[in-house]
Amino acid sequence: MATAIASIGDEQAEIPAVIAPSLREGAEFEPLPEATLRRLYTYMLKCRTVEEKIRILFKQGRFSGNYFAAVGQEATAVGTTLDLLEKDAIAPSHRSFITHIMKGTPLKLLFAQLYGRKTSPDQGRSAPAHCGYAPLNIITPSSTIAAQLNIGTGIALAFKMRREPNVVIALSGDGSTSLGFWHEAMNFAGVQKLPMVFVVINNLYAESVPLYLQTAVTDISLKAQGYGIPGVSVDGNDVVAVYQAAREAIDRARAGEGATLLECKTYRWYGHSEIDPAKYRTPEEVQEWKQRDPIVAMEQRLEGLGLWNEAWKQELIAGFRQEIEEAVDFAEKSPVAEAEECLDHVYSFSVRERELDRKVWSPKFEVVRR
Amino acid sequence: MPVMTYIDAINTALREELTRDENVFLIGEDIGKMGGVFKATKGLQEEFGAERVMDSPLAEGVIVSSSIGAAMSGLRPVAEIQFADFITPAMDALTQQAAKLRYRSAGTQTCPLTVRVCYGGGVGGGLYHSQTNTSWFIHTPGLVVVAPSSPYDAKGLLKAAIRDDNPVMFFEHKKLYRSVKEEVPVEDYTVPLLKAAVKRAGTHLTAVSYGYTLRLTLEAAERMKQEHGVEVEVIDLRTLAPWDKETVLDSVAHTSRVVIVHEDNRTLGIGAEISATIAEQAFDCLDAPIVRVTPPDIPAIPAAAAMEHFYMPNVDKIVAAMEQVIRY
Repeated sequence: MATAIASIGDEQAEIPAVIAPSLREGAEFEPLPEATLRRLYTYMLKCRTVEEKIRILFKQGRFSGNYFAAVGQEATAVGTTLDLLEKDAIAPSHRSFITHIMKGTPLKLLFAQLYGRKTSPDQGRSAPAHCGYAPLNIITPSSTIAAQLNIGTGIALAFKMRREPNVVIALSGDGSTSLGFWHEAMNFAGVQKLPMVFVVINNLYAESVPLYLQTAVTDISLKAQGYGIPGVSVDGNDVVAVYQAAREAIDRARAGEGATLLECKTYRWYGHSEIDPAKYRTPEEVQEWKQRDPIVAMEQRLEGLGLWNEAWKQELIAGFRQEIEEAVDFAEKSPVAEAEECLDHVYSFSVRERELDRKVWSPKFEVVRR
Repeated sequence: MPVMTYIDAINTALREELTRDENVFLIGEDIGKMGGVFKATKGLQEEFGAERVMDSPLAEGVIVSSSIGAAMSGLRPVAEIQFADFITPAMDALTQQAAKLRYRSAGTQTCPLTVRVCYGGGVGGGLYHSQTNTSWFIHTPGLVVVAPSSPYDAKGLLKAAIRDDNPVMFFEHKKLYRSVKEEVPVEDYTVPLLKAAVKRAGTHLTAVSYGYTLRLTLEAAERMKQEHGVEVEVIDLRTLAPWDKETVLDSVAHTSRVVIVHEDNRTLGIGAEISATIAEQAFDCLDAPIVRVTPPDIPAIPAAAAMEHFYMPNVDKIVAAMEQVIRY
C-alpha cells in the first residue's frame, strides 16, 4: 500500500501533511484505549451482521428495489464515523447505509427504510439505501454521485459561520473523484478552510470500471495538493489506522484548521449492488481481498491484547441478531404510505388540491368587471 | 416615497433582509468587493462583511450546492447566478438536489434558499449573455420560480422569496435593471409568492406575460385601446411555478380571448402550459384560438441587432397578435 504523502516534495511543505500513524515510517501506534479498540471491532461486526442479513432479506424477496452492501469495507465506515458528536454531519454516498448505525439512527427505522414503509425516514420514497436522518444531521443522499460533497460544504460553512465546533464527514467512492462536483467541493473547502473530512473509499472499482480507467494516479490523496489541503492514504482495511487518521483530520477540522482528504484503500466483497454479479473481477482477486478481512484482522489484534475471544464474538452477534429481528418485525408490521401521499412534501404548502382538482371554467360575460 | 430603479429595489431588498435576519447571507461571483457585475450587491460587503456577502469561486455548482447545505442548516442563503446562461453547472444542484430534498426526505430536510438569476435579451448580449431559461425550472416541481416586472414587485417578491421555506429561483431581467423606475416604499413589505397580478383591467382580451415582456404587453394594451378601443386585461404572472391558474382562468372566463407573451423559447415555454390548461379547463370560454408571442425555437440569441430584433418579442408583434385574436 503506497503512501501518498511520500511523494509530496519539500516544496509543498506549507501544506500541512497529515500522515496516518500506520504509514509513518517507523512510527508506532499511539495505543488507543481498550474501550475504543473494542468499540471499533464491535461496530464493524454489527455493520457486517446487519448487511449480511439485509442481503438475505433481499434475496428472499422480502423487500424490493436494491441494496448496495459495504461488506468488506467496514473499517472505512466505522473508523471515520466512530464517536462523532450529535450535531456533526454525515454526507453519505449510496454505499454509506451503515454510517447510520454509527451515528445512531435506530435500526428499526433503517429496516423500515429498506421495506419502503411509512415509518421510515423518508416514508417510503427513495430507493432502500438512500435515506438521510434529520435528527442526527445525516444528509439525505441522492443517486447523482458526489452531489453530497458539495452540499456538505454548505453545512460546513454554516458550522463555520456560527462558530460551532462541528465537522462534516463527506463520504464518496473512487468513481466520484472524476466528477466536477468532487473537485468543486474540495476547492471550496480549501478556500474557506471548511471543517470537513473528505473520505474517499477507494474500493478499486466504480461499479465495473477499474481505478486505472478512472484516474491516472494510484493514490487519490495526491489530488488534495491541488486544493491546498492535506491528503492522506491509509489501509482502509485497518480500522485502527483509519480511525487514527480520521481523528487527526477531525481534530484539525474542529480546531478551525480546515479540511482533509482521507483516502481509504479497501475492497467491496460483493457486486456494486445485489443485482450485480461483479464478473468484471476475478475470483482470485476477490479471494485475496477476503483474506484481508478487516474484521478478522481486528480480531487477531484484539486477541493479541487479550481483548477478544470467540465466545464474546458470539455473544455480540446474538445481541445484534435480536436487535435485527426486532427491527425486521417493526418494518414488516409497519404500514405503507397511502398512494396519494405521493403528492405530499413537494413544497412547504400542499399541492394536493392543485393536482387533484379539475374544475372547469365557464363563460362569464354577464359578470360585472372588477 | 422614493423613486427607485429595479436594481435599486433589488439592492434595497437585500440590504433590508441582511439587516433583519442574521441568518441571511449572499454568495456568488463578483458580488463582494465589486458589488456584482450589474451592481445589485453594491455596498453590501462593506456594510455586512466578507462572510455575509461572500465572493465565491467561479463555480455555479458549488454556489448553489453550498447554499443548499447552508439552508439545510437553518441559514437563509441568497445565491447569485451572474447570467442565466451560466446556470448549467448548477443544474444537478437545482433540479436533483434543491428541488427534491424536501420530497425525498418526506419534509424532514429542507433548503429555503433563494437563487437570483440575471436573465433576458434585448441588450446585445449575444449567445451567452441573453438567455431566458425559466422553463427549465418551471418544469422542475419543488422549485418556486419568480420573475418580477417592476421595482415595487422586485423588492417585495425578493423579500418574500428570502423568507419563503422553499427553494426559490428569482429571475431578474437585465434590461429592466435601469430602464424602469417607480415609487417604492422605504418600509418593509412583501409581495406574495404564487399570486399573479392584474396589471390592467380589460374585458375584450386577456394578455398574460411576466418580467420584461410584461412591460411590452402593457404598452401593446395601451395601443389596442388607443387604436382600436379594445380593452385588454394584462396579467403579470409574477410567479411562474407554481403559476396562478385561478387568476388566469378567471380572466379568460370573462374575456374569451387570450394572447400569451414570453421570452422563453416557444416549445414548452410557459405559454404552452397556459394554453393547454385553458384548453383543458376553460375550453367553453374561448371565442378565438390562443396566440403566443415568443421567440423562435433557435439555440440562442444572436448578438447582431437585426437578428436579435427578429428574435425578441416587441410591442408591434404583440399588437399584431392581439389584433389577430380580436378579429377572429
